[in-house]
Amino acid sequence: MTLSELTNERQGYSFGYLDAYAKRELRRRALKAIAIPGYQVPYASRELPIARGWGTGGLQVTLALVGPDSIVKVIDQGADDSVNAANLRRFIKRMSGASTTTDTLRATILQSRHRIPEEIMQEGQVLVLQVPDPEPLRRVQPDISKAAQLHADADYGQMWLGLYEQLVRFKQYVQGADYPSLVHGRYIMNPSPIPRWDTPKLHQAAHLTLLSAGREKRMYAVPPYTNVQPLEFDDVPFQIEDQTGRVCKTTGAANKFMNELPQDDGSATFELSDSGYAEKLKNDLAPGATYFDEQGNFYHDGYLKPPVRPA
Amino acid sequence: MYVAAKGGEEAIQNSEALYGALNGALTLDMVRAIQEGMPYLVDRVMGEGSLYAPELAALALAQTGGDLYEAVLLLRAYRATQPRIAYAHATSADKLFTVRRISAAFKDIPGGQVLGPSLDYSHRLLRLDVLDEERAALNREDAETTSVGTRHASSVSAPSAVQSIPSSVTNTTDAMNGVPTSTYPALADWQRAQGLLPPTEPEQIAPADIPDVTTDTVMFPAPRAHRLQALARADTGGVLALGYSIMRGYGLIHPTVNELRLGYSEVELTHPVTGAVFSVGRVRVSQCEVITPDAGKQGYMLGFAATMGWNEVKLIAASTLDMDMAANDGDGHAAHSEEFVMYHTEPVEASGFCIHFKLPHYVTFASSLDNIRKMAAAVGWDDGKGAQTPGPSAAMDEAEQVG
Repeated sequence: MTLSELTNERQGYSFGYLDAYAKRELRRRALKAIAIPGYQVPYASRELPIARGWGTGGLQVTLALVGPDSIVKVIDQGADDSVNAANLRRFIKRMSGASTTTDTLRATILQSRHRIPEEIMQEGQVLVLQVPDPEPLRRVQPDISKAAQLHADADYGQMWLGLYEQLVRFKQYVQGADYPSLVHGRYIMNPSPIPRWDTPKLHQAAHLTLLSAGREKRMYAVPPYTNVQPLEFDDVPFQIEDQTGRVCKTTGAANKFMNELPQDDGSATFELSDSGYAEKLKNDLAPGATYFDEQGNFYHDGYLKPPVRPA
Repeated sequence: MYVAAKGGEEAIQNSEALYGALNGALTLDMVRAIQEGMPYLVDRVMGEGSLYAPELAALALAQTGGDLYEAVLLLRAYRATQPRIAYAHATSADKLFTVRRISAAFKDIPGGQVLGPSLDYSHRLLRLDVLDEERAALNREDAETTSVGTRHASSVSAPSAVQSIPSSVTNTTDAMNGVPTSTYPALADWQRAQGLLPPTEPEQIAPADIPDVTTDTVMFPAPRAHRLQALARADTGGVLALGYSIMRGYGLIHPTVNELRLGYSEVELTHPVTGAVFSVGRVRVSQCEVITPDAGKQGYMLGFAATMGWNEVKLIAASTLDMDMAANDGDGHAAHSEEFVMYHTEPVEASGFCIHFKLPHYVTFASSLDNIRKMAAAVGWDDGKGAQTPGPSAAMDEAEQVG
């Protein structure tokens, strides 16, 4: 018997790139994150062959979950063909052999930067969101050791104060994307820099959402059917971005999140941000039900409230 | 085109091909030239990449056209895939094969000061004669239409390029490997014997059980092992900037270089079958100690840093940071805070996050734009009544805190 008979053939990289120890750690951290919705679980975070800050957190989670039968969709700013999404998809496919798709409803794993698709995701699907900054308290406490203590005590007074100051100074909430939200009535989380249009989609969602920050080495989760509440005062409701009057120039769709395209003549045209959804409309393929219907009504009745101007 | 309706994949492949074309051919000769001719650059990439592999570090530099951060990332990403097959025994200062060893604290120290290889006292004059020699050689080539090989040989054999190696180094050189084998005691041992420094007991811990910043979750306050590992692989420029801020005026202390060493360390393992301790090779290492009076303890305290490869400026700055982090009362300048220093000197994370701002951000920008327009509609800051209301830029600052 020779040594070569006892060993496997040499391979350049492990399945899914990460070694088995790294995958085990990531899966255990993911289980803990699911068990404590919104709680930031620290993890070691390996270096990957793409730059930090370019989706390495999401990518580690995807690589820990992906199998040969997985169907993976990757989007950046809603687009499958954005250069960074294309690069990540190419890497996941190269390292796992998983098949890929641009169809939200076919994907078993959907990795995204800055968007949640318009079509309602289903039970059994996993949404992996890339997170630049997992710490919602960074706005009021840059020291993470102190911020961790505030989370432990559910001491969110400074967040509420910040919200109040926004109303005093600007007569409205001015946080743009990455709107801080309370998960399961306990932890405030950053939902990743998705627009406010997408934040309500996390509430009582049928799918699992895993949020992962590779550079900051934190992972957290919104399990299926969990309450997610953007921070708001009872008398001044949270507001999504106004898409009223915006019509997609190629599909004619309305009341979806639009890219605004400045024109030479000073005007602007609009197109759907969700390229997979646009593709279905263009090719007359029946898209699935969407979170916002064509009149702009959100699918959970009464969850979003009309604007109220503070006195 | 940055985001195409179709063709994103093709675009990134073309972009990479163009980058490669502008950098010239990637050849084994180029890798060898970098490895042999630029040891300090290779050391820096190995140190920050935390992988001792001169050939791979040279390859990383060649492959990236000398972009340091990209080279470090290449090495780190490769390293992350490699299994740990064994743990080396701890080494110590008195076991290092030392080629350079200086102390600013005493004129003479046990074992003596060893100046060793250094540019410290060189005149920083460009060696234009090398270019002249090269041009002369080229002219000769043109005149004589000699083979390409002559050009390389003539520049190497030019008298001005030949360095005489100090006898103090050659006298103690291991004939087998060209590596000096002189060892020197640690100055800190003398200071401990004098009662100037508190006595230390080496922690009894198996090498495999030492906290590892590359596979552990880092929490604060971090174990000292994490701190020293983080400094060892920290960005040289980042460590220098923070260390310099302390030295210049935001420090708790004035660092005196107690001992700075460049040398070679044996990498010793225990054989898994026979149990014998043996060396698998030697690596270039450097270490630095700075010393300062320890207020309230009637003695001194040390700051320490070490790294793979030779990198003096980084280690003086890093050992100063180590000392200030130890003395931090939790309320000082940011460079005294372990969390601040460790997070912000990490080269792969800092550079990666910085360049990620090149990625499209138009969803987040659209989100903030929505707020700005709603505000303009609500308060009208340009109608003359808005003087008391903060303008759009203030709101943008609050709305734009996203990555």
